[in-house]
Amino acid sequence: MTDGNTKASVKFDAVQKSFGSVKVLEEFNLEVEPGEFLVLLGASGSGKTTALRILSGLETPSAGRVHIGERDVTEVLPKYRDISMVFQSYALYPHKTVAENIGFPLKVKKLPKAEMDAAILDAAKQVQLEALLDRYPRELSGGQRQRVALARAIIRRPSVFLMDEPLSNLDAKLRGHMRAELKHMQGTLGITTIYVTHDQIEAMTLAHRVAVLEKGVLQQLASPSEIYNNPANLFVAQFIGSPAMNVIHGTLEGASFQTNGVKVKTKVKGQVTKAVAGVRPEDCSVTDPKKGTISGQIYTTELIGDHTLVTVNWGDDQIVVKAHKDFDGKQGDAVGVVLPPENLYIFDETSGERIR
Amino acid sequence: MSGAHTKFDLQNRGLLEKMFEPPAVGKMAPVAKIVVYSFLAIWSLFVLFPIYWVIITSFKDAAAVNQGPSYIPFVDFQPTLDAWRINFTADPYCDMAAIARQLYLLAHNSVAFVLSPVVTIPPMEPQICKIYLAFTNSVVISIISTIFCVAVGSMAAYALARIQYRPKFGNIMIFVLLIVGVILATTYAGVPWWMSSAVALALFFFLARALGRHFKMSLGNGDILFWMISQRILPPIVVVVPLYVMFQAVRLLDTHLALILLYAVANLPIVVWLMHDFFANLPIELEESAQLDGATRFGIFWEIVMPLTRPGLAATTLLILVLNWNEYLFAVFLSTVKVQTMPIMVAAKNTGEKGVLWWEMCAVTVVMIIPVIIMAVLLTRFISKGVLLGAVKG
Repeated sequence: MTDGNTKASVKFDAVQKSFGSVKVLEEFNLEVEPGEFLVLLGASGSGKTTALRILSGLETPSAGRVHIGERDVTEVLPKYRDISMVFQSYALYPHKTVAENIGFPLKVKKLPKAEMDAAILDAAKQVQLEALLDRYPRELSGGQRQRVALARAIIRRPSVFLMDEPLSNLDAKLRGHMRAELKHMQGTLGITTIYVTHDQIEAMTLAHRVAVLEKGVLQQLASPSEIYNNPANLFVAQFIGSPAMNVIHGTLEGASFQTNGVKVKTKVKGQVTKAVAGVRPEDCSVTDPKKGTISGQIYTTELIGDHTLVTVNWGDDQIVVKAHKDFDGKQGDAVGVVLPPENLYIFDETSGERIR
Repeated sequence: MSGAHTKFDLQNRGLLEKMFEPPAVGKMAPVAKIVVYSFLAIWSLFVLFPIYWVIITSFKDAAAVNQGPSYIPFVDFQPTLDAWRINFTADPYCDMAAIARQLYLLAHNSVAFVLSPVVTIPPMEPQICKIYLAFTNSVVISIISTIFCVAVGSMAAYALARIQYRPKFGNIMIFVLLIVGVILATTYAGVPWWMSSAVALALFFFLARALGRHFKMSLGNGDILFWMISQRILPPIVVVVPLYVMFQAVRLLDTHLALILLYAVANLPIVVWLMHDFFANLPIELEESAQLDGATRFGIFWEIVMPLTRPGLAATTLLILVLNWNEYLFAVFLSTVKVQTMPIMVAAKNTGEKGVLWWEMCAVTVVMIIPVIIMAVLLTRFISKGVLLGAVKG
């Protein structure tokens, strides 16, 4: 509304951050395209929030540079970075009404009252809050508070949006609804957005590209489908997907993966004594004990609705298979599991790297 | 209000809020309620009785007091207004206008003091109506010093709660040594105090810059806080004589300024300590969010932090106001005629030759209690709970 310079690119250039002797980010490099929706995905302690806070200016990097658009903002104060942020806790000002909360960024800019009121109404309309402008945050539901935080972030039309787990305090149903709204809003406004989450579903559904972080190191930066279909390493493979990818330990000899006396053909070739084969539950199928690649007993079955999850005991390992919803195996029944060679991901267990 | 709110409140309350939290009588069983309420009723009698005793004693005469305890007016004793008449009408100029005249005198003399380097305005002499003079003095001194103390103290507390300071231990030692130097130079070498202070200040900045980076050991915010509160560990009586000498040296004995400054400084540690607790308990995201929204540090303090710590601020202000209002020791040492305060008036009723004039003392005490009650009622309106509801989380 006040600034026309939306759609800025963002660049982390070899950013490092340590708190005392603890290294939170190591040589973090990331380039975000203008107008892109980028999700930083990682478990707690992976450094994703630190990266976001460094971009916001609330934290200073120990080394490296941060750019927003053409500007090097490493030493720039937060308020001059032209960014707005939605906090996990929403951080609404409890003594101000919804309208005052939304209008606060304009109030500190000392905008004329009429112009401010029009902007507040406009921002409130975008998140369907126009009926609640006179309420206080304590009189709102969780979802409404979330919308106020969003409206406060969009009213300035910043060049970059930062979101720190904005949906994690909502209940599951509302979360799904707000997710769709967020995506729609980002699509409409086209503002570069960096979104931090530990929730892989949010990452997969929202992002143009996902950056997976672990222990302060960027593991993979790719589109959601690429991350899912073509994980760069064992960590990404196990982190993405629900239920998680099945992992079988064994050895890779030539073009076959061997374990527990079972040989499976693989697409890749190599000689790795400690290898890991990963296979997603939906790529496996249950069958007759004699026909499967492997055979074992059913540990448990869980009907999810449109499918049934079957957990099969095989030696010391457990394999989860996504089966048809009408699957009627009982606990303890002998079953076979088909592991299709074309869907087998092979990793080096020591380095965790994918063998291609 | 859901359970989550209550839990959040419990974790985020400051020390004073915890102290003023009423017991959850509403949740008790009927029998327990009766027991608790009867205990509370008896306890209120204990608490209120001294106030009742003071009030009825102020309506007694010497005979009624000396004939032993009597409790009910018109039954046990015949009430009289003698004590009130002696206090409020015995001195010349004793009428309600005395307060207005005294306030005008204060304003006049303050202007005269401020303008004294430019023009000489003869200061007005106080009229000898002790009770009105003391009452005005008490009001002016305690309110001004409380405002000053709370304003400065809460800013210091906010800085200590939000900014990490690492003063070098060596620099502090340099500062202490320079102060010792200033004292020696002023006392023994006869150097004017302003000259030695200026030289010491300049030397300090020079030495701190030149040597500061060579010092390894540094202190943190916790040390600064503890140092501040440690200023209250010493009993005030210990510092009274040095303070008297100091104020004598700068010719501020028997002035309002002396008491205002002294009360403000003496209570500063309490304000810093209490307000630090309130500030540290504020969710920091609110301030971070305001920072990103473009607010300045001072803007954040006034727009976000101050309104949210208003209950704590009100409680602290009330506490300091009462401490200042009741202060006796410093006042008795630093005032002779012009700035006598109410506690001195009360103590003065313990006369050497006639013993303690209890009835007169009680009349003064009643006058002293009333403003405190009014202030407490006014300020408790701000000490409301749940200001932070809706700030963070659902």
